[in-house]
Amino acid sequence: MMIATVASLVMAMAPVEVQEVKIPKTLASFKIVKIPAGTLKTATGEVKIAEFWIGQTEVTWDTYDVYAFKMDLSDAEKAANAEASSRPSKPYGAPDRGFGHKGFAALGPHLNAAENYCKWLSRKTGKKFRLATPEEWEYAARAGDLGAAPKNLEKTAWLWETSDDVAHPVGKLPANEFGLHDMFGNVTEWVKDASGTGWVMGGSFADKAASIRFDTKKPYDPAWQEADAHVPKSKWWLSNGEIIGFRVVSTG
Amino acid sequence: MSTPTRRDFVLGSAAVALATAIPSNVFAASASKIKVGVVGCGGRGRSAALDACTADPDVEIVAMGDMWADRVGEAMKTLTDRVPKQVNVPRDRQFSGWKAYEQVIATDCDYVILATPPAFRPMHLEAAIKAKKHVFMEKPIAVDAPGVRSVLASSETAKANKLSIVAGTQRRHELAYRETMKRIHDGQMGEVVACYAYWNQGGLWQVTRTPQMSDMEWQLRNWLYFTWLSGDHIVEQHIHNLDVCNWAMRSFPVKAVSLAGRQVRTDAAYGHIFDHFATEYEYESGAKMLSMCRQIDGTSSRVAEHLVGTKGSSNANTWIKGENTWRWEGERPNPYVLEHKALIDSIRGGKAINDGESVAKSTLTAIMGRMAGYSGQEVTWDDALKSDVSLMPSKLEFGKLEVPPVAVPGKTQAL
Repeated sequence: MMIATVASLVMAMAPVEVQEVKIPKTLASFKIVKIPAGTLKTATGEVKIAEFWIGQTEVTWDTYDVYAFKMDLSDAEKAANAEASSRPSKPYGAPDRGFGHKGFAALGPHLNAAENYCKWLSRKTGKKFRLATPEEWEYAARAGDLGAAPKNLEKTAWLWETSDDVAHPVGKLPANEFGLHDMFGNVTEWVKDASGTGWVMGGSFADKAASIRFDTKKPYDPAWQEADAHVPKSKWWLSNGEIIGFRVVSTG
Repeated sequence: MSTPTRRDFVLGSAAVALATAIPSNVFAASASKIKVGVVGCGGRGRSAALDACTADPDVEIVAMGDMWADRVGEAMKTLTDRVPKQVNVPRDRQFSGWKAYEQVIATDCDYVILATPPAFRPMHLEAAIKAKKHVFMEKPIAVDAPGVRSVLASSETAKANKLSIVAGTQRRHELAYRETMKRIHDGQMGEVVACYAYWNQGGLWQVTRTPQMSDMEWQLRNWLYFTWLSGDHIVEQHIHNLDVCNWAMRSFPVKAVSLAGRQVRTDAAYGHIFDHFATEYEYESGAKMLSMCRQIDGTSSRVAEHLVGTKGSSNANTWIKGENTWRWEGERPNPYVLEHKALIDSIRGGKAINDGESVAKSTLTAIMGRMAGYSGQEVTWDDALKSDVSLMPSKLEFGKLEVPPVAVPGKTQAL
């Protein structure tokens, strides 16, 4: 406990470095935060983490709409079905679940959609974007905290106890020592490991605080698509994925 | 690609054991197998067949039919990839064309899945019940009043013959919804005085017309956009939410007024249906339901129900707030599987269940809203139910088929 507190204080001394990323020819923008290089201690040893940038919040509809609903394409391009293979299909039902839209996390992207969003964002901005690795995600979530589970979740995370069963606007609760909001709760976030497998981390508004750990990662669950009443199921939208979102990582 | 699951493995072992170790004269035990025929092999029919296979390991798909042979082929591939041990559909039990449903129903299946576009449901249900088959039928179950009356009659015949009918209004099979409704019916929210129902979303898929397509083929492949086939989106989609409100009310509305139109999705590729309806329904008790449905790209979306009682309110499925505040904490197993499990259990237990009347009347609720929207008039339940307007074309054959004009409120006669 003492050690963790000291570590947090040391980290807090470094000023948070934030960059705004604008998506050209749109009004949409978002912020990324610099995460200093360091070491992540895991059950199996130590992992070196190189410096990277990560979304200050989960990806919101403000930018995801531009991608998913092709708001950056002309009517002619849309009619010609441009980029059909890298843009989401039309969603069935209400993607935002009626929780709210502007400033809310984009809900229910399939791993494939989250990854294609990163590629699209890279093309649009000229920066390199991808999903975090599980180690990067945990390192960013810990922000120097060496405990098994995050503290003060009742103040910093939308979880079962506080969420009222819905997602909330991002960035409304206090950030961690790295300046990141909503690492825990709200929506659980896609990451991708070195073998190419997608996982979600951080828990969601439907999870209870007692279940939250820094290193818990869950694999794809077919239950996330069970209300997708058609076969084949969507490669883009998780019909029961209102608990799922993602944040982007940039390495330059 | 499908990977073998633990269940596949266990089943596989059991099947091998059965085939090798047990003398053939006990095959009467195979009466425990539930044989399923599929009518309509699109995405929905395939998914329902898979759900049936998941619901019970002794389900076997034995016949498949669709208008298009290629659809049957695709469905065969999907099912044999995923549940190979539960598919037993040789070539002579794969059917296509206008009469495919009769051929599926004529096999020795125990129940049929009816998952074609809704226009054909009354006809298919009637044939299935006449042939003494149990039925799983996708919603909505009709597109016009004659269709609703036909389904009500078939449902009565099913009851008399102890046949089960389960409808694809899957919220009625979802545990959280059921528990919430039980509490509402117990009076924990007081008397329900107002309901709100929403299905607002963007547009859906559409199949581009090719020069080879006749009018009929083009319309069938784009069935969402023709009222005779889908009932319009208030019937095809929004019925789910209307049905939840009727369920909460334990009754059906006595009248409706609706403001509706075709404002944005006006291209001929989208047939002649509307793109929005905002409908006020009134129940016998005086309670009102406000319903909205919209299919317009780039607009805010919401799919939900909200119920207001004299002692509280509810989202109809996870919470009640008010004098008896409560929140659902249980698991939510897949309702699409539960609905087949309910049907299978009823067949095995010899105790018929029948969703026919409730889904027929919720379908009529939606049709009444469409009639009010198209005509601009207040439409009563009694008038809607006894309407003789049939939307079915006089000839069901490939060839010329005019698209009806877009309805004009104040001018169109909908009854």
